[in-house]
Amino acid sequence: MEMAIMDIVKYAVYILIFPGALFTCVFGLWLAGVDRKVVARMQKRKGPPIMQPTWDFLKLCGKEVIVPANAARGVYMAAPYIGLASLIVTVLFIPIGGFQAFGSAGDTVVILYLMTIPTLAMIFGGSASGSPYAGVGASRTMVSIMSYELPLILVLLAVGRAAAPEGYYFTFSLAQIDVMQQLAGSFLFDWRLIPAAVAMLLVIPCEVGQHPFDVGEAETEICEGPLAEYSGAPLAAFKLSHAIKMFVMTALFCALFLGGVTTGMVWLDVVLTLVFCTVVTLVCMTLLHAVSARFRVEQLFKFFWTVVSGFALVSLLLVWFC
Amino acid sequence: MFKKLIDNAAAKSPWLYHINAGSCNGCDIELVAVLTPRYDAERLGFKLAGTPRHADIVVVSGPVTVQSKDRVLRTIEQVPDPKVIVTLGSCPRSCNVFKGSYSVAGPLDKYVPIDVSIAGCAPKPEAIIDGLALAAKILKEKREAKK
Repeated sequence: MEMAIMDIVKYAVYILIFPGALFTCVFGLWLAGVDRKVVARMQKRKGPPIMQPTWDFLKLCGKEVIVPANAARGVYMAAPYIGLASLIVTVLFIPIGGFQAFGSAGDTVVILYLMTIPTLAMIFGGSASGSPYAGVGASRTMVSIMSYELPLILVLLAVGRAAAPEGYYFTFSLAQIDVMQQLAGSFLFDWRLIPAAVAMLLVIPCEVGQHPFDVGEAETEICEGPLAEYSGAPLAAFKLSHAIKMFVMTALFCALFLGGVTTGMVWLDVVLTLVFCTVVTLVCMTLLHAVSARFRVEQLFKFFWTVVSGFALVSLLLVWFC
Repeated sequence: MFKKLIDNAAAKSPWLYHINAGSCNGCDIELVAVLTPRYDAERLGFKLAGTPRHADIVVVSGPVTVQSKDRVLRTIEQVPDPKVIVTLGSCPRSCNVFKGSYSVAGPLDKYVPIDVSIAGCAPKPEAIIDGLALAAKILKEKREAKK
């Protein structure tokens, strides 16, 4: 009986505080702030304070919520919160410095499914809002989800193959991937997996919806697409999801390619992973955002199905045959 | 506690929506200059929003022509509360040199209450930043006044 209560408390802490809701929100917003600040510095601007995304989020919470007359009210209001919740669940499956709240034999598959929900929520929410801008945005978001899913699956297969234990073809467990990296060194420095790492670095900004790949939420073209009609708290939830996605995807990159770095102390490993997350954010999102213009929709699709998928496929073949 | 945090946040993250109500483009260019690296209004949290639904501050430039009047009012109605209306340049306040023209329906304060007026034809970017900072302060006051 006492064990059961202890377990409930433990899982409540995992879900609500670390690495669940509270921690991901705070760290995600901080990461988004760093991103905006560094982009500004790269453009020779002073830039907003690091807290800016947090202020934006709080302000949006205090604004009036308008539901358009021709919107499907239920879906319109529920979509942002469903997306946010599924992102927080995703974090629980990703090991942060070897610390994994809920591990299973099929982590990567679960993550693959959970990561599509926020994007689908955006598509449903946008379609439900009844605005033509949101309609265009939803269809573009669908193109971008099709673009990055293929290379993402190939990357996960390549890493899963490299980390497979004796007698298995693949592993889908992130804990096993971490164990393998402790034995064989981080996969980022395995020559066979470098193309997969490059592909993953390009998948991250597309999944998050960052600048060169943000066809679905193009502010300057279609008024942020699916978000065009949103205001107040639901918009705040979408903005928060965007910030958390940055953290989730970079943490996934760290788990896949920068695992196995252990100092012996769990809290130090966690801090180290968070530093890695920040560095990966700066490399694959901030730098690209500051130097590039936006892809057109068909360019995005072509780029991901040829170049990025090609990189991932090369890695998969190398891992399989070398 | 949360109310106070949100009240403070209101002044720190004002998003702009800009409406051109028949302006000559002079003021519009100056508003864009405010967002360039030289003046960088983003350091105060200002951001140009794509749609009125995301906006806190509505910036209107131009003398409000007969053609644009309905659109301006409709756009302002779409902005969620609390909102602040700022006029940019002399035109929306007095119709400037267009006063008395058959095609002008302004000034704007015939239709909606105005919170901040930025004077000039066209105003300097420094004046615009000053006006927008004042608008952000008013935004916070409006938010605090709301129960």
